[in-house]
Order: sequence, then structure tokens, then C-alpha cells
Amino acid sequence: MIEFKSVCKDYKGVRALDEVSFTVEPGSVTGFLGPNGAGKTTALRILLGLSRPTSGTATIFGRPYRELEAPGWHVGALLDANAQHPGRTGREILTLGAMTLGLPRSRVDEVLELVGLTEREARRIFRGYSLGMRQRLGIAHALLARPRVLVFDEPANGLDPQGIHWLRGLLRELADAGCAVLLSSHLLAEVERIADRVVVIGRGRVLAQGTLDELGRGRDLERVFLELTAEADRRAA
Amino acid sequence: MSDVTVPGAARTGWDRVTPAPVPFHRLLLVEARKMADTRSAMIMFGLLAAMTVVSIAARGVVAGPELTRLTTTAGIGYGTLLPAIAILAVTGDWTHRSALTTFTLEPRRGRVLAARCLPPLAATVAASLFALVVAVPATAVTAAVQGVPAEWDITVPRMLGWTATNVLLIAMAIAFAMLLLHPAAAIATYFVLGTLWNLARNLSETGREIARWVDLGTAVGPLATAELTWMDAARLGTALLCSVALPLAIGVVRALRAEVR
Repeated sequence: MIEFKSVCKDYKGVRALDEVSFTVEPGSVTGFLGPNGAGKTTALRILLGLSRPTSGTATIFGRPYRELEAPGWHVGALLDANAQHPGRTGREILTLGAMTLGLPRSRVDEVLELVGLTEREARRIFRGYSLGMRQRLGIAHALLARPRVLVFDEPANGLDPQGIHWLRGLLRELADAGCAVLLSSHLLAEVERIADRVVVIGRGRVLAQGTLDELGRGRDLERVFLELTAEADRRAA
Repeated sequence: MSDVTVPGAARTGWDRVTPAPVPFHRLLLVEARKMADTRSAMIMFGLLAAMTVVSIAARGVVAGPELTRLTTTAGIGYGTLLPAIAILAVTGDWTHRSALTTFTLEPRRGRVLAARCLPPLAATVAASLFALVVAVPATAVTAAVQGVPAEWDITVPRMLGWTATNVLLIAMAIAFAMLLLHPAAAIATYFVLGTLWNLARNLSETGREIARWVDLGTAVGPLATAELTWMDAARLGTALLCSVALPLAIGVVRALRAEVR
């Protein structure tokens, strides 16, 4: 459903992404792992048409994002939970999304309930939201049109243990319903519990991908991750 | 495509709505709403309305019941607060980075940008009419209180000229906002340039002549008073090109190509 094919991205001569290729299938949660600055966010921005690849293609349903007929209906995304106008209420932010997509206002109430934001919280302005509330709001926004493809950048950041537990259940439910879920994270223990497959990226290159069993062969994900990224650093040095 | 039941859906039956590209009128509604749905915007619109009423009433007390003069007095507020509102409406999505959300829902950025430019212009037309609506009773009351006959001297061309002037000046604010994509920079540029042109006009005859052809603030003068000659119209045209079309075009092209971060 999501396919990266040899995606490269150069910034002023620096290669941020180098021949990135991987796919995310429906009915699965794919964890996108890498150290800070590895290129995760760049890759997700390219996938969502917010940035252009230098070469290669990133497609959803076989088409680049900008060529999708009604992308907001098919793809839900949360790239940065903090990226909202601080003076707007949570409810208003969701209402704008629902209006854009042509959804009835009742859908705003549904997604608020779904992510566990109360009516009182929804009526407060964004400035006063904790990071956990911002993540919930962003996830609610991504779910507005019941998309089949979900892209989350670090959604577990700032969530409390209950929040993380809830997120895990939600992502599982979405995947079981047939959605393709791509989530980036550096919370390895969380990814290990949520994801079916992982893609590890370091210094702009895909270092490894596969199911947790294929990658780990008995070792835990942290160990695998540290080995892979250390090796990438050695090669680069 | 959407035959999947995602949790929390299906209760209201909206899921039978067919996915479709976002029509332009919807983008327009959304961008109009975004202009006014933040705390700061609400405060500014409130201030603007209050300033309009107070300045018109005060002008009535000082200058007597003359409808044209009272109506155009609102220009004081419209020359200061409306540009700020327009600039914030255009830059807000970039400074708060909610452009990430906006352009994910509608990747055809040109349509979003077009939808974003129109509401401040419409608000300016509405504000100009609002001034007239406030000025009519203010004129009547002033005449009654001062015991002098009211002057209902406003003409349709004068009102249209004044409204058009307000709209064009806001278009310039929008163009600067689109060019700079930063509220403080755009607001500063808008007002500092106004002052600089004023200086240029007063310092030399050459400066005055250049300002007439290039600076919109200068070139709209004859339009505001509905005394536009063909020469004035030509000057207005070139000033619009220099002060509105050019910065707007550069800004739009850049926004279309930019990496959204």
C-alpha cells in the first residue's frame, strides 16, 4: 500500500536519504526506526508530498501522494503534534479538518471520544495542551476520514503509560481492520510491542527490514538496533 | 477504496459519503474560518469594530454630521488593524507549522493559497460597508444633538472608490505576507515602506513622481476620492504590478516549491 522505491534526497550536496526502498502492507503495523537525524521525518514528508525526492518514488496505492484523487480521505497523517496554531481550540482544529474533507461535525465528536479527549479539553486552546494531549488530538485528526493508510511520526512521544497502552490497542485495531500503519519511533521497546515489521534506517540508508523475528533471531530489538546503527556509523567514518 | 471499518466510525452513516477531491468553495470556507477562529484574531476583529464605532462617533462630535467624512474616518482603523489581520491570516499556517496539516489534506497548494487570499479581501469589503452602516446613524444622531442639518453627501462612486482603496491596500498586505511568510517581517515591511514612500514624496519631486507610479499607497489617492483620471489609472496599474502582483507572484512560486516543514 505504501511503497518507497530507491528514494534519494539531497540537501545542498548532503545526502539525507540514499536509495530508500521498503513497503508497508495492509493489515500491518510497520515501525520505522532510526537515530535522530537518520532521515525518518524526511522520508515521511516525501511520502506525503510535502517535500520532493531528488530521485526515486514514494507512492501510496501506486500513486505519488500529490496525484491521489482525495488524499485526505485515504491517508491519515500526524507528522508533528506541536504544529498547530496555539490560539485555536482542539475542537476547532478538528472542525477545520472535518470541514475540509466534507465530513459532518458529528465526526469530530466521534474522533474526540475515540482518542479520549473530553469535551472540556476539546474546548481549551491548543497552547495549554500537554504533549500527550497534542498527540491524541493529532491522532484524532488523522482518523477523521477513516483512512486506510496511516502515517505517524513519533506518536508515542509525550504519552503517559496509559496513553501508550491505548495507542498500542488503537494501532492493533487499525491494522486488524486492514489499515496499513507506518509509525516512526525511537522508543524501541514500544515498537517491539506494537509493530509487525520494522524498517531500520541510519544515515539515510535502510540498514535492515523484516519481521521482528527475522531481524532479531532471538536478540531484543535494542541490541539489533545499536549494532546496525553502530555499523552504519563505522562505515560512514 | 474505503471498505474497511475503522473503529469509532459508522455510527452516523457519514461513511457512505464518497471520497472526493476538496472543492474550492470548501477551501474558501475553511480559510475564511481560519482567519477568525483564533483567540488573537477574535480580539483583533473586536478591536477593529470598537475602533470603527468610536472613531466615527468622535469624528461626528468634532467635525459635524457629514456622512462621507464620518464613513471614511473608519479608514484609520482599517489602515492599521486590517493589514495585520490579513498578514496573520496568510502567514499563520507557516509560522505555526500547521501547513503540514493543511497541505496533507489538500496537496494542491495553489488552490489553498488562492483560497487564503480571498477572505481578507472580502472582510475589507464588509468592513467598508460596516463603516457606512455605523456612519449613517452617527450622522443622524450628531445632527440631532448639535442641532445642525446633516449632510448626506456620500455618492456611489466615492463609496466604491474608498472601498476599492481599502481592498487594494489589503491586497498589498497579503502580497507582502505571501512574499515573506513571516508576520512580524511582513507587518514591519508594510508600515515601514509606507513611511519611506511618504518621506520620498516629501523630499524631492523625483521621489514624488516615482512614488506615484510604484507605491500603491500613493497611487490609490485619486481612487479613494473617486477622481481618477486616465493618467491616475495608468499609475495605479503600474503601482499594482510593483507593489502587489510582483511580490505576490514571487511568494506564490516559492510557496508552491517550498519544503513544508
